[in-house]
Amino acid sequence: MSNFQELVKNFSKTREYVRDFFVYGFKTRNEFKMKSPRTYDNERRRLESWLAPFIRKDYISRGSNISLAIDSSLLDTNPLFQVWKTKSFTDNDIVLHFLILDLLWDGHSLTAEEITDRLLSRREILFDIQTVRRKCNAYAKEGIIDKKKVGKRVIFSLDNRLALWLTSHENALDALAFYQMAGCFGIVGHLLTEQLNYRNQTFRVKHNFFVHTLEEEILLDLLEAMNHKRFVNLTIKSSKRDLTNTITCIPLQIFTSTRSGRRFLCAYTERNSRFTCFRLDTIKSVVSLEISQMYEDLLEKLNRNRKYLWGVSFEGTERHHLDRLTMTLKIDASTEHYILERLKHEGRGGAVTKIAENTYQYEIKVFDCNEMLPWVRTFTGRILSLKCTAKSVERRFYQDLQKMYQIYQIDENSLYDL
Amino acid sequence: MEIFSEIYSCYYQVLHHLLCRKTPLTIEDIRQEICREGFEESLIAIIPKLENGTWNLFEKDGNIYRSKLGSSFSMPLSNLEKSYLKALLSDPRIGLFLDQLQLDSLNEMLDSAIPLWKQEQFYYYDKFTDSDPYTDETYRNNFRTLLSAQKQKRYVDIDYTAPRGNRVHHHYVPARLEYSVKNDKFRLLAWKQTKHGKMKLETLNLSRMQHVNSINKILTSPPDLNAMIKNSYYADPLRLHIINKRNALERAMLHFANYEKNTTKVDENIYECLIYYNKNMETELLIEVMSFGPMLKIMGNDRFLQNFKKRLKQQKDIIYNQQK
Repeated sequence: MSNFQELVKNFSKTREYVRDFFVYGFKTRNEFKMKSPRTYDNERRRLESWLAPFIRKDYISRGSNISLAIDSSLLDTNPLFQVWKTKSFTDNDIVLHFLILDLLWDGHSLTAEEITDRLLSRREILFDIQTVRRKCNAYAKEGIIDKKKVGKRVIFSLDNRLALWLTSHENALDALAFYQMAGCFGIVGHLLTEQLNYRNQTFRVKHNFFVHTLEEEILLDLLEAMNHKRFVNLTIKSSKRDLTNTITCIPLQIFTSTRSGRRFLCAYTERNSRFTCFRLDTIKSVVSLEISQMYEDLLEKLNRNRKYLWGVSFEGTERHHLDRLTMTLKIDASTEHYILERLKHEGRGGAVTKIAENTYQYEIKVFDCNEMLPWVRTFTGRILSLKCTAKSVERRFYQDLQKMYQIYQIDENSLYDL
Repeated sequence: MEIFSEIYSCYYQVLHHLLCRKTPLTIEDIRQEICREGFEESLIAIIPKLENGTWNLFEKDGNIYRSKLGSSFSMPLSNLEKSYLKALLSDPRIGLFLDQLQLDSLNEMLDSAIPLWKQEQFYYYDKFTDSDPYTDETYRNNFRTLLSAQKQKRYVDIDYTAPRGNRVHHHYVPARLEYSVKNDKFRLLAWKQTKHGKMKLETLNLSRMQHVNSINKILTSPPDLNAMIKNSYYADPLRLHIINKRNALERAMLHFANYEKNTTKVDENIYECLIYYNKNMETELLIEVMSFGPMLKIMGNDRFLQNFKKRLKQQKDIIYNQQK
């Protein structure tokens, strides 16, 4: 532990540990079999340091475990954003960062040589020109400063209009405070509000999956490839088995579930000529390849197909092209109008028809009706019948119901005993 | 463009705040700042670098530290941040915050930025379809009045259509504006004074508000919101056993990740998960648990278990009666 560093060079290892501690939180030291106990100890110590207020330790018979106790309804920000602020750096990096920005802040345009001279004359700090130039070029690449060639001179300057505009418009800061909680790439909004010394004390977000932030860099690479209509090589680690494989595909769209907490890349794989969805949290790396000539056609085809998607599956277990699911429900429209509203707002285009007094039928055709079962089950207590052209779906629904009757010991005559 | 970059590091942020202080600092001031903004162990990494001058950014005069920087600058925006802002300009909710003139100014300043994402690159396949009317002028005005009142802790007079259709009229103090990703709706968490003079927390849908007017009255000592929410949780949490078949453990852990929960392994294939919730969350949680079918088993609390069994019983009866 003597060489313990709070900051890290690489995010990918951090990503896996944080995810395990946050999502699961019941694994003990011995259950992190993939890494050495020393690595586990260091990672755990870092996590305890970064996320101290949210760490919970439990002592159990098999040892102790740590988990993250995060209740999103009580928070004005996502605590997991902290992990993005842990990149290590050199002493020169941090010193030059402040000195260069300080020199350029009041509108000077300077060459690397002039910056180096002024650091010595005004701040009494000696740097070699190459180091200063390298830092200026890196910052120009990140867009923090501007780089321009005037004759033979390369000059660096800083445009602070945007930062000043944002600082002087409170409603813009409010927007950032909101989007850091509610939108994609919330981490960027969060970093901006911090930079501009603003803090969210107004917004809360419900149904927010904080853990998504860990996938943002993968998402960034995917969007970059999508913008340039490129093929990608994905390194994927299976969530069920500990296998890693590489897949070449054309990334088309990000599919997000607001309920299950899962996000997927919908891509086209040429090898089997199919649309396939890959969970973002299983993608370990993205490498951009050549441009796809059929990108627009594939996007159009995906848009046409999307109306038959319930979730992310393009094919059912019985390999029919499409399956039809029909659910008949008992609904008293005078007192249970909200159920009809649910069918309308959550039913993804399915047709709702009144077929008798207090009896309604919901019907939809989708690629994979199996994906519908979790939603169908939410109407338990009102389902008069469920029919599906994929018979395995119908069977599973009724078998699961039977299992639940057994688990909870439900029999026909016991209603009034409850 | 990188998110994981040292320029966004916590240490840079701490140093930035220290360097922009106008007044000289003692080492104790510096320590306090690091403890407030840094990580748990940042102190032992930062202090020696400042004391031995490796980070030569302060003039040292005995125990006093003075910033060497000439200005108190804000960090300029990176390409990543500009692209992020540019993407937000296409979001339908941005009009709740910025007027057209401000949107035009921002658009002009971000002229050369490429949006980080486009709306059409994302597809929320299970989002409800009855989103709030973000472009409606009344809705926008109400939103802005509430936002301003929330920050000033000012009372507002809300004319509201209740779910049953009746109009109600009350005075509230906005506590938070809550957005639901699933419903794509805003709700207001607001304090309301009871007849006995105590404050209670209520939740109102913004789309049901007809008029919102600011009142010339400020709530001087607002209650502790989080303590109120926490106190509303049932003492006895929902206790679930997760049977790890069909990948149920992973699905459940992710699905319930936004609740405060605690999970332990009970058996080789069974995990116990405690979920903390209140009355307002009860129906939604019941529906969520139901969606897992037999992969989850409710062990307690009794209230939740009875509600669940009641639904199952109704289901069994409905099919049984039909077959008869």
